[in-house]
Amino acid sequence: MVWLNVLVQGVLIGGFYALFACGLSLMFGVLKVINLAHGDMAVVAGYVAVFLTPHLGLPEVWSFLIVVPIFTLAGYVLQRTLIQKSIDRDPFTTLLVTFGLSVVIENLLLEIYSANGQTVNIGDLIAKSWHPASIIYVSYVSLGVLGVAVLVLFLLQLFLSKTGTGRLIRAVADDREAAQLSGANYRHIFGVAASLAFATVALAGIAYGMMTQFAPTSGGVNLLFAFEAVVIGGIGSLWGTLVGGIALGIAQQFGAHINVQYQVLAGNVLFLAVLAIRPQGLFGRKTALA
Amino acid sequence: MSEEKIFEGDRAGHALREFEFGRRLGLQALGVMVASGAVATLADVSAAQAAAKSGTIKIGYVSPRTGALADFAGPDAFVLALIKKSSYFLKGIKIGGTTYHIEITEKDTQSQPNVAVQVTQELINSGVDLVLTSSAPETVIPVATTCEQYKVPCVSTVVPWEAWWGGFTGASISPQGGAAGTGPTYNSMFFYGVPHFVGCFVPMWEKIQKKVNCNTNVAEMFPNDSDGNAFRAAFAPTVGAIYPNGGYNFVDGGAYTDLTTDYSAMIQTFKTGGKNGAACDLFVNVPLPPDFQTFWTQASQQDYNPKLATVAKVMLFPTDAYALGDLSNNVATDSWFTPYSPYKSSLTGQSAYNFAAAYQTAGHGQWVQSMGSTYSLFEIAIQALKAVKNPHNRLELASALQVVNYDGMCGPINMNLKSANPFLASPAKGIGMIQPFGVQWKPGSADLVGHRKYAWSQWIVDNSLNPHIPLNGTLEPTNV
Repeated sequence: MVWLNVLVQGVLIGGFYALFACGLSLMFGVLKVINLAHGDMAVVAGYVAVFLTPHLGLPEVWSFLIVVPIFTLAGYVLQRTLIQKSIDRDPFTTLLVTFGLSVVIENLLLEIYSANGQTVNIGDLIAKSWHPASIIYVSYVSLGVLGVAVLVLFLLQLFLSKTGTGRLIRAVADDREAAQLSGANYRHIFGVAASLAFATVALAGIAYGMMTQFAPTSGGVNLLFAFEAVVIGGIGSLWGTLVGGIALGIAQQFGAHINVQYQVLAGNVLFLAVLAIRPQGLFGRKTALA
Repeated sequence: MSEEKIFEGDRAGHALREFEFGRRLGLQALGVMVASGAVATLADVSAAQAAAKSGTIKIGYVSPRTGALADFAGPDAFVLALIKKSSYFLKGIKIGGTTYHIEITEKDTQSQPNVAVQVTQELINSGVDLVLTSSAPETVIPVATTCEQYKVPCVSTVVPWEAWWGGFTGASISPQGGAAGTGPTYNSMFFYGVPHFVGCFVPMWEKIQKKVNCNTNVAEMFPNDSDGNAFRAAFAPTVGAIYPNGGYNFVDGGAYTDLTTDYSAMIQTFKTGGKNGAACDLFVNVPLPPDFQTFWTQASQQDYNPKLATVAKVMLFPTDAYALGDLSNNVATDSWFTPYSPYKSSLTGQSAYNFAAAYQTAGHGQWVQSMGSTYSLFEIAIQALKAVKNPHNRLELASALQVVNYDGMCGPINMNLKSANPFLASPAKGIGMIQPFGVQWKPGSADLVGHRKYAWSQWIVDNSLNPHIPLNGTLEPTNV
């Protein structure tokens, strides 16, 4: 029963990691951009939820109705301007640009909102849980976040496989030149992919703000976990990202069960093990490394 | 293309290497900035020393105005405004026939130790005669050690004295919990230490054991940081030394990383880690404030309900209680200032009660206990300045600070008290002990300060260490 609880809690926190990693996975998979500002953008979403939605007379639980559309738009604009410009140069430039973006965002948040911690307030719900069996308690918030993660990944997968735009995204991701020769406007396609990624980042940021406090510099830690989830799951697979996030969560919980000190370490060890034994990740496609 | 694998995966390794390189680049850039900062600092010091020979006494005040520790500095603006209106600061102080004007410069650490060092260096460069600092080791240790390095007098507060003492090179804590090694020359402080947390918490444990069915298993939530490691090493042994017949069984939740988002493993340990698989009915911790909020909500989610939670470093301020809402009911903590004390200002004679009421009248919201300790820092500065011949003589001023002995807003403070009572005695010269008391968060009442009802208020439920403080509430279990 104790081990079952470890597993359950691991899956729950893993759902959050997967949601957080989803946008990173998309950006990485389609645009080949490692967005170092990913975590900071999620934090921005948290700030928008906390400071904008109360002005609109909306409870903070429903803030995603406002924040997700804003981020979807912002994702497209940012891609077509800043990120596309850097992709046109070389992959190294995109790293520098997103790293710079990360620094700028952190400092702007610090300047505007100070370093004080913030929480997306959802009232009493935060302390409530479902009690299915003797020692197992499932937090409604964590369960909700896991549900959102699965739903988001399912919808994304559906979008990519069933719609015309989705197929174009896959085509561009597979072979940009060939897609261009067939008449695809890859810049627009990149923009659409980025706006999808940003929409998921917004959800992740709000979920994070509900689960714990965030501050301008909170993005970094979560970027690392998201990155690990993407790599463990395998770059190029959205379901892989879900499995990667959950695997990371379970590994951390197993580590913590042995000794709380090993919580973060156990996740890192799994990450290294996957890189060493199966560099393409659990669900990644095995191709020669360039 | 296969349905599952939509993206290309071949650049993972390549991209990872780039990621790592980008990170290193950033770190190197930071390193260069720090180094150049240090050079500029050294060049400025002699200029600053020349400026310090004027008829103005410059006091620097460093606190965490923003960041994780911002609540500690919440009352700073009010307290400093009040201090500046007192006669010594308004009209100047007469020392050896010269009237010196006093100037206060405030600096924010953003709750980060590296920023604390940086702003302290800025103050020293601007020629301050004295630095005052408050609020947690993350603030106080970098400020105090920087002052020691540049030979500038510094007074600290709201930090366990052990953490403060241990921050200086050559000073350490003996196995018996005393001050060992050579202490600082230019530094002094007032607050309390690990034995006081014990002397404050254990009487509350004893009271609750008489009141409800409560076992002696104590959950310890101590993080892997300077406060956490100090408590892990000292708390349980000190309880054993002071209360040898208590029979307490300590269950260490493990040295978790600050800002962890998931505490379920630790909570499981506390639920079943006691003797014979019992839950830990008593709970003690010393976390960062955001971590307690996360932990305590998750404990509630996971149905871990200790009979009495005695927490340190968190739940000190009303904002913590507001953030937790009903979950803060009957959480107990230590407190070092209350409006209900019989103490009064040594500068103006204003009572603690009126001081707190004025804070609320001025529109700052509910009074907070750090207002008392911040106020006393300036009282101590005045006490020492009155005792010196030349306020710009740093060694003379630092020595005067180390023997300050007066009654003020935080009660009697003697920085060099020899006493057989281990709670009262100065562990070393320059360390003044104030006596904390136990409080519990309960819904507020219109009978409290200023006759304003706030959602949550601190009620004094134990005064074992400080009988000056009258009780105004009854200790009740955190969870029934």
